[in-house]
Amino acid sequence: MKKLYSVRGLLTLFLIATIIFATIATWYKIAVWGFSFKPTEKADVWTVDAHIAFEPNGQPIEVSLATPRSLGAYRILSEDTVAKGYEVRKNEKNHRVKMTSKGRSAKQNLYYRIKLYDNEDTTGKVWADKPAKVQKPQFENEQQKQMVDEIWALADEKEGSKAKRIIELLNEESLAPEVDAFLPVKKTPKIMADKIIWLLSTKSVPARVVRGVKLMEKKRAANADLMLEVYEGSKWQVYNIETGTMGLPKDFVLFQRGDVSLLDVSGGYNSSIKFSVVKSVISSFKMANSRAKYENSRLFNYTIYDLPSLEQNILKWLMIFPLGILLVVVLRNVIGISTMGTFTPMLVAMALVRTGFVSGFICFSVIIILGLIIRTLLTRLNLLLVPRISAVVIFVILIMQLLTVFGYHTEWKVIAAAAFFPIIITAWIIERACITWEEEGARNAVKQIVNTLFVAVITYFVISSDYIRHIMFAFNEWNLVILAIVMLLGTYTGYRLTELKRFAPLVKEK
Amino acid sequence: MFDFIKRFAKPQQLRSSGVLGMNARNYFMISRHNKRSLYPLVDDKVQTKKLANNININTPHMIGVIEHQYEVKNLLQIVAGHSEFVIKPAHGSQGKGVLVIKHYENNEFTTASGKKLGFNEVYQHISNLLSGLYSLGGQYDVALIEELVHFSDVFANFSYQGIPDVRLIIYKGYPIMAMTRLATKESDGRANLHQGAVGVGLDMRSGKAVQAVLHNLPVRLHPDTEVDLMTLQVPFWREHLLIGSQAYEMTGLGYLGADIVLDKERGPMMLELNARPGLAIQIANGRGLKEVIKNVDKYYPKNLSAEERVDFVLNHAM
Repeated sequence: MKKLYSVRGLLTLFLIATIIFATIATWYKIAVWGFSFKPTEKADVWTVDAHIAFEPNGQPIEVSLATPRSLGAYRILSEDTVAKGYEVRKNEKNHRVKMTSKGRSAKQNLYYRIKLYDNEDTTGKVWADKPAKVQKPQFENEQQKQMVDEIWALADEKEGSKAKRIIELLNEESLAPEVDAFLPVKKTPKIMADKIIWLLSTKSVPARVVRGVKLMEKKRAANADLMLEVYEGSKWQVYNIETGTMGLPKDFVLFQRGDVSLLDVSGGYNSSIKFSVVKSVISSFKMANSRAKYENSRLFNYTIYDLPSLEQNILKWLMIFPLGILLVVVLRNVIGISTMGTFTPMLVAMALVRTGFVSGFICFSVIIILGLIIRTLLTRLNLLLVPRISAVVIFVILIMQLLTVFGYHTEWKVIAAAAFFPIIITAWIIERACITWEEEGARNAVKQIVNTLFVAVITYFVISSDYIRHIMFAFNEWNLVILAIVMLLGTYTGYRLTELKRFAPLVKEK
Repeated sequence: MFDFIKRFAKPQQLRSSGVLGMNARNYFMISRHNKRSLYPLVDDKVQTKKLANNININTPHMIGVIEHQYEVKNLLQIVAGHSEFVIKPAHGSQGKGVLVIKHYENNEFTTASGKKLGFNEVYQHISNLLSGLYSLGGQYDVALIEELVHFSDVFANFSYQGIPDVRLIIYKGYPIMAMTRLATKESDGRANLHQGAVGVGLDMRSGKAVQAVLHNLPVRLHPDTEVDLMTLQVPFWREHLLIGSQAYEMTGLGYLGADIVLDKERGPMMLELNARPGLAIQIANGRGLKEVIKNVDKYYPKNLSAEERVDFVLNHAM
């Protein structure tokens, strides 16, 4: 007894340790890698493509591109450059990516691509530096000064900060004559931004342009979007150039700000940068994988989630086994159901997962019944055991073949499921059932088959659940807990449920 | 709905009745008292028989052994001169694969149930047996051909065909529980309780019937022969217990089952031993094994010889 308790104590400690480990690992996967308990959750992913094009002039090429520094409410999922033959170097501190190459002749097309996903819990914090003191512009003449004064007089009738007022004024549908005279005929965002910055500088308000990409569906080869950044009350505020709305929009990915350029190309001319945006939807699990890989590559590289999808699918299939095994152990040692062969029900259940329940069940029953009939006929031939069981195996294969062909031509999917059943197992079920039938009567044979199918069906419903399969794969550390439980069950010396009925007559009446 | 639940006992009720469950049997009794390396001694009936004969325990005489497929055709030469015999797998259990030939004449074999078989059918049976159909792990097996036991007239009316044997549970060399299993029409001459045989619990001191059960329910009369089962008393009870007790030294197994038959002329004989004896004996006796096991551990003297242990049981068993 003492030995039992020490073994049990040890195993209990092991179980507790595995539970603690699994809980921490699960927490880590959810909090850091973004794994989810739900298998089907979808997430939006934005792919932003920056297409850089330029004509080389024969000199060594150096392309320097500003990379996103503030992502609004988004986080980077993956980031890569397509620049064949270029040496790519990323400078995290300056938020720039540098691509260098020897001189080339043909027109160059380089791509920088980032994938972004919605992240609710980060608010876009904009890194800030203090601006230099603004130098008030020198007016060309008195007339210009007067015009500016008049514009500011109009702007002051509006509400809000100086920047907001001036932006609103410059964007009115019917412009005031003074404003109309001030602005050029061609009003591109860049010109408008420059004008606003100039006007603000007359009031000593520092302002500058920021460039980025507004995430919109079906954006193709568009110029960078502009916004205005104004230094107000010791911090930079971002303004929409057209509406005067303050704040960085959630869907604006900021590439460049301040005095640095968006794109520098040396060794080429006629450079241009165009942005394309594509929105796609992927499962949150897939996304979490990419994200974990991007953010924590060293640890993640040694997990199963970094494997190619073929290997992952095999593992996904394997990861459900321990739970099925636990179920078999519980059903046998705690409930006390006896089946044909220890793991036969689990193998049948796995076949059912592949075929689908109804079709698999019907198909399996047909194979067993036909097999039993053939096996009974074989009895009369007085064959030796090994050749006889082999003959049953071949018959099972032939029945499967027949059912599959028949199922294909009648388009009756129920029958096409035949080929998925484990042949040897099926043949042994038939052989055992037949022997039991001869030795212990039909009742016992049927009872054993029913028990086996019953356990198989229970196992099927556990392992076929998408939810459970996802959890056992995404949080595979729980397999360790299952191992501990199975080992602990190895010390369970209490009564089995069926024994409570079997030994009920032994209860002494008081 | 509630009736269904009522048919289940509560675990604490079984515990207080000292019932030994399957898990507890495997954990506390078998894995603790029976060394794995000793299993072959009892799993192979040919070996058991040799060991028994070495210490002068009676067993049915061996007529021959068929080890290989090509020897099966020699069956007729092996059994020549015997009109009755038993073919059994050396590695079988629970009476599986046992073929009792009551009468053999002119290439016709008559079984215990009166079924007539030709040579081909017997040949087929032995082939199956050699292929391991009835053996414990499905390994290749050996066919053992023994003389038929002429079971004592004492049991004549207690069993519908078949040989009633006495099953003893031996713990640390002490026979602690006993029963006899009587075949019925329903069990088709077989002695398995779950197939409808009658189990009769036996008193350890006298070999007298304590109670009888059929399908877990108490019975008084044999369902086919209608004999009062309470009148059953196993003769040569001391000799029965001695065979069981000696099996402990013979095998070194601390917890085992011994099947003993009573031959009309040769007296009690050891039929087979079992390293994993079943638990149905508790139902036949209406009492749990656990309390007796506890008593053995606590009160029964150690280091006694087989004879002394039997005497102790005959005088002190509760």
